[in-house]
Amino acid sequence: MNEAALQIQHLELSFGDQNLFHDFNLRLETGEKITLVGPSGCGKSTLLRCILGFVMPDAGDIRVFGEPLTPASAWTLRPRMAYVPQEPELGSGSVRAAIENIFSYRSNRHLQGNLERVPELLERLLLHTGILDKQTSDISGGEKQRIALLLALLLDREILLFDEVTSALDARAKEAVIQMLIDLKSVSMLGIAHDQEWLSFADRVVDMAEAKEAVI
Amino acid sequence: MNNIINIDPLHLGAGYLLLLLPLGLLLWLRVPILGQTLTAVLRMTLQLLFVGFYLQFIFDLNNHWLTGAWVLVMVGVADFSIIRGCRLRLRRVWLPVFVALVLGTVVPLLYFILLILGGEKAMHAQYLIPISGLILGNCLRADIIGLRTFYTNLKTSEKNFELTLAQGASLYEASRPYIREACEAALAPNLATISTVGLVSLPGVMTGVILGGGNPMVAIKYQIAIMIAIFSGTAITVISALHLCIRNNFLDGGILDPEVFSVKLGNKRIKS
Repeated sequence: MNEAALQIQHLELSFGDQNLFHDFNLRLETGEKITLVGPSGCGKSTLLRCILGFVMPDAGDIRVFGEPLTPASAWTLRPRMAYVPQEPELGSGSVRAAIENIFSYRSNRHLQGNLERVPELLERLLLHTGILDKQTSDISGGEKQRIALLLALLLDREILLFDEVTSALDARAKEAVIQMLIDLKSVSMLGIAHDQEWLSFADRVVDMAEAKEAVI
Repeated sequence: MNNIINIDPLHLGAGYLLLLLPLGLLLWLRVPILGQTLTAVLRMTLQLLFVGFYLQFIFDLNNHWLTGAWVLVMVGVADFSIIRGCRLRLRRVWLPVFVALVLGTVVPLLYFILLILGGEKAMHAQYLIPISGLILGNCLRADIIGLRTFYTNLKTSEKNFELTLAQGASLYEASRPYIREACEAALAPNLATISTVGLVSLPGVMTGVILGGGNPMVAIKYQIAIMIAIFSGTAITVISALHLCIRNNFLDGGILDPEVFSVKLGNKRIKS
């Protein structure tokens, strides 16, 4: 069997007396697109935070391209992933500054050439280049989501983790985003969504409530 | 100093009678700080009495070791006050804050004593202790504002902080905006004081030199030097405290350790 982009085995996590994950398993193949669904509070967002190393499970194993995720290895594994939350904060200043800022991080400096792709990506996300000079506080929630998505795409990561990233978009913008993601053939994707578009575009839909009951 | 008017104990005792006016007004308005005020005045009196006797003893002895020990005691008390003021857990931050206070006090103190005042006389406890106290008092205030701003902003922007880490930032890179905000908040009161000094009020050192019989030109030279020392000290201590705290207040994965706070600030880990 090929090495999975992401493999979660026997994950156990509880908060106080609430058992969030019990023997939870999930495998994301390279290039595979999985949409996670399930009722709120079932642990979808927490799962993404576990994969990013922000929440350490009580037991179980998370592997990213075969490498076990630990607090120490999270630093080297995070640059292989990109994460877009539902309500991304872009900091203060202009949108241009927010975009340029991520390339000031040491681990992203070698990707600075990707800034040339900004106009093309903006167009594909149905955003005008004039948005670059706007203040992040002046743009709408939907625009913020698309800029955060643009940041994730500029980083050329192998795994994309999305938490309801199109929740504030209209149908046309949502379609544009999904078409873009479909074109990323080699990129693995794990996204939380409830929209029909996401359900039909995904290679697999995983219902978290059911997945907790059975080994996937 | 011989020109100064001494206050005899009887007159000082009579000075307390002035308090009757504000206390009466507070009582009349039922402002619930009467007990607090009385305790504060009593504490102030006892602390200053103790310090007065003790400083007289230290000045008379003028022993460098004893002076150094007294400065360290002052740093230790400031350290505890900062940690308590920021509601942080003592065992997690006492050392970084202590080191930051020592740096913020000793560096400008030595600069002031050795370079600006110069000479053997400047090494006298009579100079060392009041000047270090002035610098330290300001460092204490700046550290409380700086650390409190840093941790509060970090806590309220936890998701943004995680996003920054997820975008590939190192712990220091992700903390940088919060360090910047904390430094700005901590140094702002000092900057405001510097820019209005002499216009809004006559500052302490200047007043002290004038009351001690010095002429105003001597007083302003002291004041300028001490304000530069205070600003340098506060900047050094805040920047050092933040950087040293970052080193041991985060979990391995880059998340702020909730154990740093002495009060519970919510769930240890956020649920979806």
